Amino acid sequence: MTRSVGPSVRVLIIDDDPDLRSLLARYIKQRWADAAVDEFDPLSQAFPERSFPLGSYQAVILDYMLGRGDGLEWLQKLKARPDCPKILFLTGAGNEIIAVRAMKAGADDYQRKQELTREKLLASLRELMAPVTDTTSPELAARKEGHSLGARIRIPGIKVLRLIGEGGMARVYLASREGDDEPLVVKILRREVLSNRTALERFMEEYSLVEHIQSRHVVRIYGHGNVDEHAYLVMEFFEGGDLNRRLEGKALAPAEALRIFRELMFALGEIHEKGILHRDLKPQNLMFREDGTLAILDFGIAKQIDATTDRTNAGEILGTPRYMSPEQVQGRVLDLRTDIYSAGVLLYQMLTGGHLFGGDSAMEVALHHLNTPPPSLPGELEPYQRLLDKLLEKDRDARFRNADEVIGFLTRKFGVGSTDVTQKL
Amino acid sequence: MDESVYKVTVARDLEDLIPVFIKNRHKELDILRVALAAADFEQLRQLGHRMKGVGNSYGFDHVSTLGKYIEDGARSGDRAALDARIREYAEYLAKVQIAYE
Repeated sequence: MTRSVGPSVRVLIIDDDPDLRSLLARYIKQRWADAAVDEFDPLSQAFPERSFPLGSYQAVILDYMLGRGDGLEWLQKLKARPDCPKILFLTGAGNEIIAVRAMKAGADDYQRKQELTREKLLASLRELMAPVTDTTSPELAARKEGHSLGARIRIPGIKVLRLIGEGGMARVYLASREGDDEPLVVKILRREVLSNRTALERFMEEYSLVEHIQSRHVVRIYGHGNVDEHAYLVMEFFEGGDLNRRLEGKALAPAEALRIFRELMFALGEIHEKGILHRDLKPQNLMFREDGTLAILDFGIAKQIDATTDRTNAGEILGTPRYMSPEQVQGRVLDLRTDIYSAGVLLYQMLTGGHLFGGDSAMEVALHHLNTPPPSLPGELEPYQRLLDKLLEKDRDARFRNADEVIGFLTRKFGVGSTDVTQKL
Repeated sequence: MDESVYKVTVARDLEDLIPVFIKNRHKELDILRVALAAADFEQLRQLGHRMKGVGNSYGFDHVSTLGKYIEDGARSGDRAALDARIREYAEYLAKVQIAYE
């Protein structure tokens, strides 16, 4: 093991893979030029003895599979030492229960190894190594506030483990169910939103809408309530992440895009049948389970079709401009065809890797939905043009009327569905 | 197989790490072959797991994909599937083209 002298940052990487150690060390040294990064190979070295200068590091990166050893056991032993620094634990994708156990064992953060980018690694280390009082970066300060809230909040039967996302309305945490460590997600409404009664009602309405839908195409919500003046929802954790992560700015193979789109149609068919419009379909709201099945979440601005009260004020526009239907942009009364249009925008994105409409502002994008004909698909995607045209009709009367019509079209034109595991429940 | 699988783009600032990475993958391939011949499924599982973890990190997504198949094949003791995946890995390493940007 080699070490330089007087560095500003000291990190220890414990991993059995020399290539991964080299890569992580490179990322760290690129960010902190004088960093000292020590590599520890558990295949050739036994667990560090008491004399090992663990406390001289500001952070340890520890893999959960160490060849001969179990990363969780190493984590527990390292954390038992009073001089143990912050630990970033690397887990496998699709195995969130390991992340849950690591956080419960004292890890200070975790990252899925297969999805670990330079940016994610450095952001995590920066956060772990920053002094508690460091509020120089507003983003860092906000994250710290989020972590602090997660550590304080007490939800019966649930352990909140780690801040994993922040939205305008709520913070999102990895959590676990006490007893069996089942990974869950807890959404906690931002305090500043609490004073906005409409926003609060929308947040809580998500639970009341979704609890009536027993469908594998819809996120499972396990509970909700208020604790310490914080409104929260407890919901299903999705191992497969969201469509945004799957796309990563690139097109999917047409067969895969069509498979996902068809699942989405089944999902829409089910929620529409229950009298619910989603009104905010976008890649971040389409989640995948480990087996690849899709579920919709974020019903925060969903609406019951026959509801007597609508929290949308007259002319108020809700939704994400990139995926809005023309009638949504106009603030008109919506029906289920609005979700069909938004699904068409998503299909375009899955097939091409790009957005249907671009623009310098949300308003510009929104106006394209009203006035600009959708661009034609490139030659190799021409077989999907007619489907898209009918999904993206600006006149909703000319659009597919419902999800069943779309599924029928898919089956007739593309034959998908006969051997697909996806079947309407 | 789709030819695009063989095209990998790597960040320019990682270029000097790639020769060692590729050399280690070839070593890994040799060990996989020996492990399969010895029906050492535990070693195959560990190697598959390691491939799964490291491939994506360097931008070699197909290494991760094959790693997952090898890990799964080792868990179920499916020698035929493992043999096919190890051959696929050999073909991939022979054909992979790396661009730096």
